[in-house]
Amino acid sequence: MGGLQKKKYERGSATNYITRNKARKKLQLSLPDFRRLCILKGIYPHEPKHKKKVNKGSTAPRTFYLLKDIRFLLHEPIVGKFREYKVFVRKLKKAYGKTEWSSVERLKENKPTYKLDHIIKERYPSFIDALRDIDDALCMCFLFSTFARTGKCHVQTIQLCRRLTVEWMNYVIASRALKKVFISIKGIYYQAEVMGQLITWLVPYQFSHDHPTDVDYRVMATFTEFYTTLLGFINFRLYHSLNLLYPPKLDVKAESELKEENDDDDYAMNSESYLEKLSALSASLARVVSTAEEEEAELDQFPVEGEDVANMEAREKEQKQEEAQKKLFEGLKFFLNREVPRESLAFLIRCFGGEVSWDKSVCIGSTYEVTDETITHQIVDRPNIGKQYINRYYIQPQWVYDCVNAKIILPVEDYFLGVTLPPHLSPFVEEKDGDYVPPEKLKIMALQRGEKPAHEQEDEEEEEDEEDEEEEEDDHEEEGDDDEEAEEKNLKKMEEQRSQGKSLPVKVTAGKVKVENPARLEQEEKAEEKRLAIMMMKKKEKYLYDKIMFGKKRKVREANKLAAKRKAHDDAEKSKKKARK
Amino acid sequence: MAPSRRTRRVVASQPGFLNLKPSSGAAGLAGVRRKRVNKNKKKNWNKHSDINDVTEFLEDVRHQERTIGGLLSEKSDDNLFFLDVGQPKKAEQKVAEPVDGKKRKGKAVRPLRIDLILQHDSLVPPPKDVLAYQQPNAKKLRRIAQKAEQLAAKGVVPRRQKQLLNRRPADRTAKKAVTEANNNPDREYYDIWGQESKDTADPWYLQQTGKKRVKRPEKLNEKPSVLPAVEVIAPGGSYNPDFFSHQALLQEAHEVEVKKQKEEDKIERQLAVNKEHLATEETILREQVEGLVEEENEEEAPNEEEEGVAVGAITVAEKKTERQRKKERAYKVKEQLRQANRYQNDKRQQLFQLRSIKTSIKQEEQETKDKQKQRKANQEAQKAQPRRLGKLKFKAQDMEVQLSDELAGSLRQLKPEGSVLKDRFKSLQKRNLIEPRERAKFKRRLKLKYVEKRAFREIT
Repeated sequence: MGGLQKKKYERGSATNYITRNKARKKLQLSLPDFRRLCILKGIYPHEPKHKKKVNKGSTAPRTFYLLKDIRFLLHEPIVGKFREYKVFVRKLKKAYGKTEWSSVERLKENKPTYKLDHIIKERYPSFIDALRDIDDALCMCFLFSTFARTGKCHVQTIQLCRRLTVEWMNYVIASRALKKVFISIKGIYYQAEVMGQLITWLVPYQFSHDHPTDVDYRVMATFTEFYTTLLGFINFRLYHSLNLLYPPKLDVKAESELKEENDDDDYAMNSESYLEKLSALSASLARVVSTAEEEEAELDQFPVEGEDVANMEAREKEQKQEEAQKKLFEGLKFFLNREVPRESLAFLIRCFGGEVSWDKSVCIGSTYEVTDETITHQIVDRPNIGKQYINRYYIQPQWVYDCVNAKIILPVEDYFLGVTLPPHLSPFVEEKDGDYVPPEKLKIMALQRGEKPAHEQEDEEEEEDEEDEEEEEDDHEEEGDDDEEAEEKNLKKMEEQRSQGKSLPVKVTAGKVKVENPARLEQEEKAEEKRLAIMMMKKKEKYLYDKIMFGKKRKVREANKLAAKRKAHDDAEKSKKKARK
Repeated sequence: MAPSRRTRRVVASQPGFLNLKPSSGAAGLAGVRRKRVNKNKKKNWNKHSDINDVTEFLEDVRHQERTIGGLLSEKSDDNLFFLDVGQPKKAEQKVAEPVDGKKRKGKAVRPLRIDLILQHDSLVPPPKDVLAYQQPNAKKLRRIAQKAEQLAAKGVVPRRQKQLLNRRPADRTAKKAVTEANNNPDREYYDIWGQESKDTADPWYLQQTGKKRVKRPEKLNEKPSVLPAVEVIAPGGSYNPDFFSHQALLQEAHEVEVKKQKEEDKIERQLAVNKEHLATEETILREQVEGLVEEENEEEAPNEEEEGVAVGAITVAEKKTERQRKKERAYKVKEQLRQANRYQNDKRQQLFQLRSIKTSIKQEEQETKDKQKQRKANQEAQKAQPRRLGKLKFKAQDMEVQLSDELAGSLRQLKPEGSVLKDRFKSLQKRNLIEPRERAKFKRRLKLKYVEKRAFREIT
């Protein structure tokens, strides 16, 4: 019966966790260093299930880490480097205080540094693991590369971020991997498919920073430090997968062209101007093995049976569509006016095979002048323009973005100068059937299917027609439901009649030849089957079924409501316009 | 000393030598009689030999050298004599000149007497400092230099220089600390996933010597949240949104605002002063006269209570009779029997209730299953929620919304909303990668003291 009394908090979850302060003391690091280490090693705080047990009876909110994680951190060689750095700072301070400049110099030269390579390898054992986690890295690098060099963070970090992002964009261009783009009020979202992974990143607008005060820059800088290393290694691997040189070099042909143009220009440094030329995105990159034309990779044909055939066909069709999308802008020649966002547009156009140039004074790397007769599209973002060439379209920048999202070349009429633009829809929304779909999207979908609007004039009408169609479709569905109900009623009546059959007056009339509509018959049969199935349902299932049907109907109703609203809105707009006229 | 003295003596003995002091002649020598001294001791040589003539002569030579800069006899006549043609005419001019320049120049030109005294007036040049010109190992060095020259002519490079040349050129321009830093913009990358580690050594050895890295636990590679890294803004956040999606976003933002407002209102309501608690004239008066007016009622009440307590005393239980006990026992046995019977009966009955039991069991199982499912769903939903990782709770950032009149007509006029930096920071917090934190407040250790400067005080 006896035995020692069990002490509290010596087993169970209390021993699995460690508070942040204790962990810090165990590692002999200061709090900022500890934080940095955790970020670099990918060890995050953990919320225990029973806080009171872990916290030894206290309910005070604390940050906990798993003890095993901290034990793992003890083996990290970087911890030693952090301690060394601490000593270095102390020595440096002392030397400054004593104004011993020579020793300051010496200390600075021997500043302890550390590498993150082994951590990358450890956290991402394979390349695909790393690629899956690249979203964050891209966002962070794009963000930091837009920072002003004002001392909020190291200038070198900004430069490195810029370099890495330029490399990434060049890779996306070379591999034609871009899928979607969305201009939001926050920034521009891009989505690319690299090696089967969908990668989304957010690029802020240039010069849009007001530095918020409640953001911990030190934490962000630490994340960036890690992510720059990661992104660099990923870039290296990606470039080699495409047989591109890394660090990227411009194509010999392109380079010579650029040189000819920029001979008179005096840019500060050769190395700097090279990065600028790369970041202009106007020239293709040099390959390790220079191939004239990349061979089209054809899908291997496997003998398939039965139902797989349809799948295969669908897949092939998709493949073809993708190929077509990759060559969306091929053969088109763009010129960017100086008021449009150059980098984003150049990136997009080059991603889909178009040629692009801009005014020489806007940026380095322009390849042709405004006066070039072969330009097909000029992108302008001002209400009117002085001198216009007759053989090119003057369009607003949204056209490019919308084309990319629609995967087809949209008609340019809606995007001419001074025209009120159609809304820019988010490509990241995927509507399920029954949801409300904005009419603009319906229009684009129709275009994708290959239906072509004859003229601009008829466009609007068609739009309306489509709306009507949609409504009609919805109506059909409802009608279908109604039909079912009606049928049920009829059947019931018949049954009643049958049951009362005896009392019915019996008559014989001349028979009529029933015209049998096979399609109609089939439909009826199906409806009947469905009805029977519904009848055969158990109570519980029936309840569920009713619920589902109700939800569907409600959705349709709401969509109809929105469509009607929209129509009313459009009508109001139209009448306003007419009134103005 | 010796050779110079000899030469001088030689010079003096020559017939052409001129003496400055003619008195040191042979007359002195002739008059004094020679004293006889032992000359077998060296001491006596110096003591008794007469060297006056020599010293005098040498003094004379030195004097000549000091004053004239050499021996008189060796000077040419031109150096010693000149033709006296009376006062030169320039002197008259010199006299004429001072009339204007005397007052200013005269004093400045004449040196001070002290300086004159201190001036070096000997014509013998000061001796050279030999050590300054001497070089240790001069001969050896000269020889080495000659040899090196010969070799260089042949084209042979010495070993040392060869070593220097062979040494890898150290990058003095770029500092080690800069090139090795993680944020060096020109840093090199390599294929980190391609190369396999070439650990040929014994794994046990590597582990024991601490050369092998500890394996990262698999669990650490799990993400702490199921949320995606980049959450795309709702379609209403487009720069040129569709009317309805924009309205939907506005509605959402509005709801958030309303919720906030409600919370604020609630707090305000709770903090508001209750009117009933406010002091009225009556209560003030009562407070003022508290204790002054005697109240009899209160004194009476406690007495009654005391009495009540006293009444409730322990009641002694009466003893049971034998009969009563028997009766009780019998009743107990009977009751037990009845219970047992009933239990048996129930069991037997259950055989016929099998169906309903089965259904009830099924029902229970279904219930537990449902509960499990619900719990799992809840847990999944929880995974998407930010956890409580520290003192502060996660606070979502304000939604980025542009009102209908703020929307830009074109990309050029677009005014970006919100900060991407903050968005990223909040995303990290939301995904439980970092704990939400407040910026440490600056605490002044010593109080500030404001003192007017005197200059300022004078003005005011």
